[in-house]
Amino acid sequence: MLNNTKCECGHQNPVGTVLCEACGLPVQQEMLESDQPLEMRYEGAARRSQKSNPNILDRVWNFFSSVKVAVYLIIITLIVSIFGTILPQENVIPSLDPPAYYAEQYGWFGELYHKLGLSDTFGSWWYKILVLMIAASLIICSLDRVIPLYKALSRQQAKKHETFLRRQKVLYEGSVSNADEWLERMEQALRSRHYRLTRDGHALLGEKHRFSRWGPYINHVGLIILLGALLTRGIPGWYMAQNVVVNEGETVPVPGTPYYIQNIQFTEIKEIGPHVSGQQFQFAFETEAVLYRCVDNCNNPLQKPVLEEVKRHTIKPNEPLEYEGYSFYQIDYNFNLRPMHMTLTLQNANEETIGDLPIDLNNPETSYAVGDMRIELTGYYADLTSENGVPASKSRVPNNPAFIFDVTHADGTTESYFVVPFEQFQTRLKGTGDVAGLSFELTDMEVSRYTSYLLVRVEKALTFILAGALIFLFGVVIGVYWQHRRIWVRIDGERLIVAAHTNKNWFGLRQELAKILTKTGVETDANSLDNYGVTKQ
Amino acid sequence: MSLEQIQSLLDLSSKFLMVAFLVYNVSFIVFGIAVLGKRWSKRDAKSHERRWGTIGLIITIVGLLSQGAFTGLRWVANGHIPVSNLYEFLTFFGMMIVLAFVVIYVIYRKPLTGLFAMPLAVVIVAYGAVFPSDVKPLIPQLQSIWLYLHVSLAALGEAFLAIGFAAGLMYLLRTINFKERSRSGRWKNLGVEVTMFSLVTLITFIALVFIFRGVGYHAEFLQKVVEKDIKTNTEFEVENIVEYTLPPIFKPHNSETVEMKPFLGLKEPLFEAPSWLKGVNAGRKLNTIVWSLAVGLIVYGLIRLIIRRPLGAAVSPIMNGIDEQDLDEISYRAIAIGYPIFTLGALIFASIWAQQAWGRFWAFDPKETWALITWLFYTAYLHLRLSRGWQGEKSAWLSVIGFLIIMFTLIGVNLVIAGLHSYAGV
Repeated sequence: MLNNTKCECGHQNPVGTVLCEACGLPVQQEMLESDQPLEMRYEGAARRSQKSNPNILDRVWNFFSSVKVAVYLIIITLIVSIFGTILPQENVIPSLDPPAYYAEQYGWFGELYHKLGLSDTFGSWWYKILVLMIAASLIICSLDRVIPLYKALSRQQAKKHETFLRRQKVLYEGSVSNADEWLERMEQALRSRHYRLTRDGHALLGEKHRFSRWGPYINHVGLIILLGALLTRGIPGWYMAQNVVVNEGETVPVPGTPYYIQNIQFTEIKEIGPHVSGQQFQFAFETEAVLYRCVDNCNNPLQKPVLEEVKRHTIKPNEPLEYEGYSFYQIDYNFNLRPMHMTLTLQNANEETIGDLPIDLNNPETSYAVGDMRIELTGYYADLTSENGVPASKSRVPNNPAFIFDVTHADGTTESYFVVPFEQFQTRLKGTGDVAGLSFELTDMEVSRYTSYLLVRVEKALTFILAGALIFLFGVVIGVYWQHRRIWVRIDGERLIVAAHTNKNWFGLRQELAKILTKTGVETDANSLDNYGVTKQ
Repeated sequence: MSLEQIQSLLDLSSKFLMVAFLVYNVSFIVFGIAVLGKRWSKRDAKSHERRWGTIGLIITIVGLLSQGAFTGLRWVANGHIPVSNLYEFLTFFGMMIVLAFVVIYVIYRKPLTGLFAMPLAVVIVAYGAVFPSDVKPLIPQLQSIWLYLHVSLAALGEAFLAIGFAAGLMYLLRTINFKERSRSGRWKNLGVEVTMFSLVTLITFIALVFIFRGVGYHAEFLQKVVEKDIKTNTEFEVENIVEYTLPPIFKPHNSETVEMKPFLGLKEPLFEAPSWLKGVNAGRKLNTIVWSLAVGLIVYGLIRLIIRRPLGAAVSPIMNGIDEQDLDEISYRAIAIGYPIFTLGALIFASIWAQQAWGRFWAFDPKETWALITWLFYTAYLHLRLSRGWQGEKSAWLSVIGFLIIMFTLIGVNLVIAGLHSYAGV
């Protein structure tokens, strides 16, 4: 069916137009004959989604341009999110075998929950699709409306058709004897209330706070930026998250980066609360850390890396170490005693001290020079145990370190010792001559008490996410706290028609119009301006 | 500060809270006189309403100042803003509801707003007082300026949304025809009745806790829980003391009675909580829920027996003569004001803080997810109202459901779903 979209004022409107773009007269016959208030949404302009003969692309566009669809998407996301909070999600359960964990902990329900994929609701493909559909809806809904609305509002005419005015929700009809003089007063009154004016003969349009109409679109743009920023996590280098475990006194590399981090000291402050009976409370925990950049021998396992200090910071909750986009967060810690470093003092048979043998228990050197001797470490068992009578190590943790030292004296004689410092045990495995022997005595030890768990993160999108959120908020605030108000005046001879429209808060608009009219000498009260009697919002 | 000084500050602060609580009740009555009294007043109805409305507002502000003093003194004693457990948070939330009401009142000058906002604040403050009021230092993760910004703004936003609920509920009471027997009419009646029943249950529950606290009721159980060490995959047994302040109908699973005051001849708990109820103090929570529902049902039943009709039908005549358009407008405006504040406080500031404290701004922790659910719900509300013309009754129903979601987010999540925000509870 082809509608004639030419208005009686002579303006040719696009298909889908509700109100004539020029004079505001309803285009469709049924709407023209109705006595209901005019539908002023999007100024009655045609939207792309109202195109006749839609093709597939148009159909997709039409689907996403519907607010109804948008609300359905929101509600579906809401319900699905509720399901996602019924049981703990996979990322927080203390198990590496989710199916078994859910079945064991929550019985048949847990099993079902896991099978349905609800145990990873927020990481699932269907949740992501929902979010993407919301993003599509945000973009298309906004474009579909903001362009025609912008065109309509920037092309406004002051002179409107009588029918358009009479069918506004706020209306005053009366008479004036001197039109020019009254319009003069009206202009002044409107100006004093910050209206911007357009005059066309005996027709006048006052308008204010049009920007509030852009609020919804601005907030949608904010949300699109926010959702878009989340996608940037896929860009290499934009997002990284990993845990680094570092014992007190240790320096460890941060995998995938040129950085090393050292835990100089970990401090935990626990006190008896000042006002709680006898209970201990944790007040603070922090890692005194140094960040290094590796400048040489970085990926060479045979050489010690050359490190250069770049930053020192005490990392505690809420106070991460931040450097060049990398952030180090204190997330957890563990208390366990663990030897880090020990010094063995060598004495000869006459109990004369020869020198010290400093050993890094996590990464011992293989060769030492003490006095005029050379000592080679040929066997190291960090956590000594015996397997079929042969020494072995239970783990890499130096709980009970044992060493085999090959000693070469200045005169060329060699001997070999097996030493277990914690057990005060040593034995000579082999030797030449009748040298009475050396003794290895533990004289100093450094112990790590705490293991600090740090989270290392890179999140380049953060600025954009925050910007998106703030733009969203700005849009909401201007859309909600301000209203776009328009007042039309038309005088034909002595007959005066004043109509007004706002996108919300009709109560406030009527109050304001009543004040303005009173200033021009027209006595009226706010309630009588209500054209349809049931129009508050 | 010495222990005695802290204690005396805390004592003084609780007195201010008590005063505020009483003053809120008085202001509720005064707003009642302002709205309902104009029918009996010999004077002009408008000037009667204006006069009593102003008195009500002044009294409300006095109450607000008194609760402000409570918050301030407790802040000093605590060393941090008192919003870190359910007792502190709920009383603070109640205060924010009063503040939101004052703002709405200044805009609209409608005393009837006070008729529903004040009792809501009173119930919330009283509900807060149900929870243990111990003062505890903050764990390191919470020691941040963002605690102040996030919690106080989130509470203020939610307070406006709560005013939206109260006005929405009044709209329903005012407009629903309780004599309608059609299918949709019955559903509406049921909806209002369920809401009224929930409020009755909440109020009886609060009264119950205070009665048993007043008589010093106490029971104690030794519960054995098998825990599993994930690292070593070994199981070991932990013994926990579980204390009850309500008589135990259900005792904790796998527990022995250490001490139990007899109640109405009951010397031992009747049942044991089932083993599939997980979480901290699951048995005690089950006991509390059963108590609340049972006593709520009894009280609700008694009221029904006395008034012989649904509660909604009994209350609705009070609303006669109130302009429902005003109620709709106030409900919507309160939600429109609350929505951006909620977004800023509960989502944006929360994310900024989470980024600082835990190194991630969003992780779908249950509390975070429920804040998102609340936000999605009110987003849908605004779209339906502004774009699809859902005004009046539909909008009022949404405001009631929305408040239900808020209350679950604030309390339900803490009590039912454990997460980063879980506090101790009754």
